[in-house]
Amino acid sequence: MSGTTEEATACAYTDYEAGEAPEEYPKTGEGAEGLEADIWDALYEVEDPEMPVSVVDLGLIYGVDIEETDTGTTAVVEMTLTYSGCPAREMLTNDVHCAALAAGVEAAEVRLRYSPNWNVNMVTEQGREDLREFGLSV
Amino acid sequence: MTDRYDTVDELDEEATEAFRELIYRLADDEYVIAERDIEWQIYAPTLESDLALANIAQDEFGHARLWYDLAQETGLSEAACLWEKPADQWRHSTLVELPYTDGDWADPVLRSYLYDTAERLRVEALAGSSVAPVADRVQKILDEERYHREHAQSWLERLTLGGGADAGTEESHAKVQDALDRLFPHALTLFAAGEHEETIVAEGFRTETLDDLRREWLDVVIPYLESLDLTVPEPEDEKRTATGRNGDHTEHWEPLLEEFTKTYREFDFDHPVRLREGGVS
Repeated sequence: MSGTTEEATACAYTDYEAGEAPEEYPKTGEGAEGLEADIWDALYEVEDPEMPVSVVDLGLIYGVDIEETDTGTTAVVEMTLTYSGCPAREMLTNDVHCAALAAGVEAAEVRLRYSPNWNVNMVTEQGREDLREFGLSV
Repeated sequence: MTDRYDTVDELDEEATEAFRELIYRLADDEYVIAERDIEWQIYAPTLESDLALANIAQDEFGHARLWYDLAQETGLSEAACLWEKPADQWRHSTLVELPYTDGDWADPVLRSYLYDTAERLRVEALAGSSVAPVADRVQKILDEERYHREHAQSWLERLTLGGGADAGTEESHAKVQDALDRLFPHALTLFAAGEHEETIVAEGFRTETLDDLRREWLDVVIPYLESLDLTVPEPEDEKRTATGRNGDHTEHWEPLLEEFTKTYREFDFDHPVRLREGGVS
């Protein structure tokens, strides 16, 4: 230690710029009604496996649609992953699939999308609070 | 004006063949370089670099998965794309299959620099792809790749003599030069054409030709490597016939494939293991 007081600086090899949340994101289900609202409510119960925060508040859900087919009502959930090497992909998509089914549809389909690329600014205000409580600075 | 495809299943038969070639070039490269990189687990020179390389490999496996997903949307199973794909149907460049030599840290560092610089250019050339799900993946991958180049460059500058304040030693510089002489001809195969190259461009799957990408890559890597006091081999002298892109690989490929599909083959999915005979399955 040099004994001089220096301002703490961030690691030069890490980029802390968080990017911007594109317009219309995060999608939170605000204004959804009926069955669609029930599905959003169910998705709020699905948590990221690493952090106690809902996948909706993380900004991972990109859309919920209801399709009527011959076999009944199908929920189509579009979602993304925080990073492409996510080892919990199967677990997360399965949790989302089950949550959508539990909201009362005959079938559910989860589609992964990668645009817009997810970034930290797509976390909702509630998500930020949950992350802070968990001990992350956002 | 080329057709636009919202989904992969809109492609006709000929276009599907060309599309699979494009996807295999991307996915197989990512998968195989990650396989090689994880061989450095516990052997990298510091815990920090061990973690960094593990993390890069994880990203590349992730990108391989993104591309293999699209191959599966053409009607192939994951096993057909990967675990059961015959050796001569893999389309990766020979650069990524070469074995590492014990302790030769200059190799993964330089290989990553050559490969990841090419990957950026190759993926950027997909941003305007006529196939929507291809373009959808571009920004995600580009954002994750930037760190890989930063990692490789920060090491190259520490291993070579031209790297300024943190420059390396005569010995480390010689090792990087050695790796460059050995890897450069293989790196050029990243831009070698496959059987369906004309269709890939004509259909707008990729919006740049391989020649243009190769030129752009040389324009980036040559001045950078020369700035580190390295001597770059003359690209025109370095023509390999086994490019990997044509299914023709080096002798190192089949043993590697054999090794990373071993567990898959041992699983014997047709006869799953049961916990208790006749009981829980």
